[in-house]
Amino acid sequence: MAGDIRHEAAAALEAAFAARDRGSSGDLPRVGLFGNGIPEVVIAAVGACPVHLSLDHGGQRHEVDRVVEPFVEPETRIFLNRLLGGEFADYRGIVFARDDAAALTAYQYAREWLRQRPADGVPPLFLWNFIHTDSGPAQAFNRVQGGKLAAFLQGVGLAAPAAGWADAVADEGARRAALARMQALVGRGISGAVAMCWRNAGRFIEAGRHARLIDDALPPQGVQAGRRIGLVGSALGSAAVYEALEETGTIVCDLQPWGAVWPGPEVAMPDLDTLLAGMARNPYSPRIVPPTAHRAALVEALVAAGCEVVVCQLSQHDDSFGWEIPSLAAELEARGIGFINLGFRDHEPDAEWCAAAAARVAGEGVPA
Amino acid sequence: MTYTPLETTKVAAEYQRDWLRGLRGQITAGAQYAFVNADTPHELFHAMDMPIVTNQWWSAVISAKQLSEHYVGHMAELGYHDRLARYSSLPLIAALEGDAERQPWGGLPKPAMLCARQSSDDHQKIFALWADLTGAPLTMLSAPAVPDPAPDWWRLAREDWEQLYGTDRLDLMVAEFGELIERLEALTGRAFDHDRFEQYMDAIDRQERIFDEANEILATAARCPIRISEQIPNVMIPQWHRGSDWAISHAEAFRDALRERVANGVAVVPDERIRMMWIGAGLWFDTGFYSAFEESHGAVFAWNMYLPFAADGYIRKNHGDPLRTLAARVSAMNEQLHQPPWVNEWLVEQARRYRIDVALMLIPANDRFSAHGSYFAKEALEAAGVRVIEVWSDMVDSRDWDREAVVARVVPVLDAVLAEKN
Repeated sequence: MAGDIRHEAAAALEAAFAARDRGSSGDLPRVGLFGNGIPEVVIAAVGACPVHLSLDHGGQRHEVDRVVEPFVEPETRIFLNRLLGGEFADYRGIVFARDDAAALTAYQYAREWLRQRPADGVPPLFLWNFIHTDSGPAQAFNRVQGGKLAAFLQGVGLAAPAAGWADAVADEGARRAALARMQALVGRGISGAVAMCWRNAGRFIEAGRHARLIDDALPPQGVQAGRRIGLVGSALGSAAVYEALEETGTIVCDLQPWGAVWPGPEVAMPDLDTLLAGMARNPYSPRIVPPTAHRAALVEALVAAGCEVVVCQLSQHDDSFGWEIPSLAAELEARGIGFINLGFRDHEPDAEWCAAAAARVAGEGVPA
Repeated sequence: MTYTPLETTKVAAEYQRDWLRGLRGQITAGAQYAFVNADTPHELFHAMDMPIVTNQWWSAVISAKQLSEHYVGHMAELGYHDRLARYSSLPLIAALEGDAERQPWGGLPKPAMLCARQSSDDHQKIFALWADLTGAPLTMLSAPAVPDPAPDWWRLAREDWEQLYGTDRLDLMVAEFGELIERLEALTGRAFDHDRFEQYMDAIDRQERIFDEANEILATAARCPIRISEQIPNVMIPQWHRGSDWAISHAEAFRDALRERVANGVAVVPDERIRMMWIGAGLWFDTGFYSAFEESHGAVFAWNMYLPFAADGYIRKNHGDPLRTLAARVSAMNEQLHQPPWVNEWLVEQARRYRIDVALMLIPANDRFSAHGSYFAKEALEAAGVRVIEVWSDMVDSRDWDREAVVARVVPVLDAVLAEKN
């Protein structure tokens, strides 16, 4: 009986991840998100389901495609084609994280296209400005932005956050706890690929339901086997890559933007100001100030997770993480942790790339 | 066809070389300087008598000395991949290599302070490495985006900038200026003088209005009187020293020289037939390219961004708070040149004002902040009747630059324009 529940929950999580934003979020109105670092608890508190829109594989092409340069991230291109094609018409609004480079471009290009060619079937768009540093000016600015987000959500017909705040915080707290229980089993019952899938399923369903599904899906603790692998670099949602990297071990510390850095450590706070202050200190934001806090946080987490080797992979358009690589590699190797830079890969890497990646990870050991 | 350079061009270049030589001497004697990005509030450093070296200027100098290929190679040796931006990082790579003799003019001494703005994601990464290397304290300024950018920003920016840039963004920037001033005071041991700063801001306003007049002279001249390879140093070197007596005096001399040339009918191409614009940063390693089509087609590059932006990007009316006025200048400085709708609308306005026939658009694929919005701009210019030629290259990295190939792509376009005009 317990096995049935576990299998059903796991299947539901896998289905939610596979469907991405095309799945069902129940009867709740939906608010789209593009990028990490948006206070999703606020959106839940106003009675909506936050749904991430940047992980889709793509499909239809819209004429907006012609103004998207080849160096723009694929997730931005895919999103713009879908947005202007009317695929998000039933969303109450879409919130973009300014501190996510792909999201900022998506917001600016969408707005400009719509300014020149007003169209039906596109919900209101909102840019979430947020300063990732722990200073007085930043706190004051971020409080203003919190108010603007709440006003936007009310402007699209949703409730004031206060109404549902306690329930939303409780749901986020439950999710955080469930994710922590899941993380404890990575390498001891579930793989990094499964953890990535189950965690990111929550980007498309309510936090409370996500928490329940994870708790129901968790298997009994097993025995650690294989190498403990860390993963860093560009946003990656390909299960095939995870499976390839895990041929000789388990990804126990997943710090790429679609890994364990979401939903973030400060999601369940008693009030908005405390939430925003915690988010501003989140060192996993690539725009945290002081900038060295980001790399320091990566190293600390990888060491704490007992990683024996760290694998880095980059989107074809990386223009930021690459600046961390030599120092990160040196710092890890000084701690006896191997570093393998797989270099660039496509948005959806093919079997050949995955096989080569698996061979490298299998073939390269821990430094003496 | 004989082109006579402006005397002021030589004066500006010599001033800058002597200034750097003098700075080296001052630093050897114990003075401090700051290494800063172009879109930071230089005014605060000047007001505190803290000399600055601008990252992008130094990068352009390195490139002009044909050193970029060497440093890009060294960048790879250090483990930085090939798709990272070079314009903002060449000076870092030169510093990491540590061979001062290879660098222009004997290289840069170690800075006492670093400052950058988060307009692009890589700035904080690059400057953090600078801080690691030098031990100099780093100040990062925030760069939240304008959620509802007015397309005609240059009309609002001079006076109605509070509405244009947003009160919350300006509040933040002014507060961060306050923190920067405190750091400068601690570093220099001097107090920030608000009255003197207001006078200094007034002086900068005078300088930018002189450049505004120079811009009007160039835009309305029947034929273009100087090459853009001369416009750039005559504008940007005074801009690095903006508000100083020398800078204002040089801006006046430059404006007057333009006026005199126009009055005397002097033109780069006496039989000017095609007017072109160069979109993007300068092609620092091959500024001679800008004269490539003068003899063959009577085509002159009449426009680049530096002079018109000195007016539209810098003139900000002081409504009684000079620090807030400065925030209005800085808070979207770079964004206006690269992000839609700002960049496309401004380029169309400039193309009309300068009567442009053909635009060459530099698109540095590995410097995405600079390259974003290119297709929107291209589309808008073409709708305004301007032929646009994409130039996929880099402003400082010469490896992707094939001059002959670009010329071969430009020539048929110019031929077509001439055929239409004849």
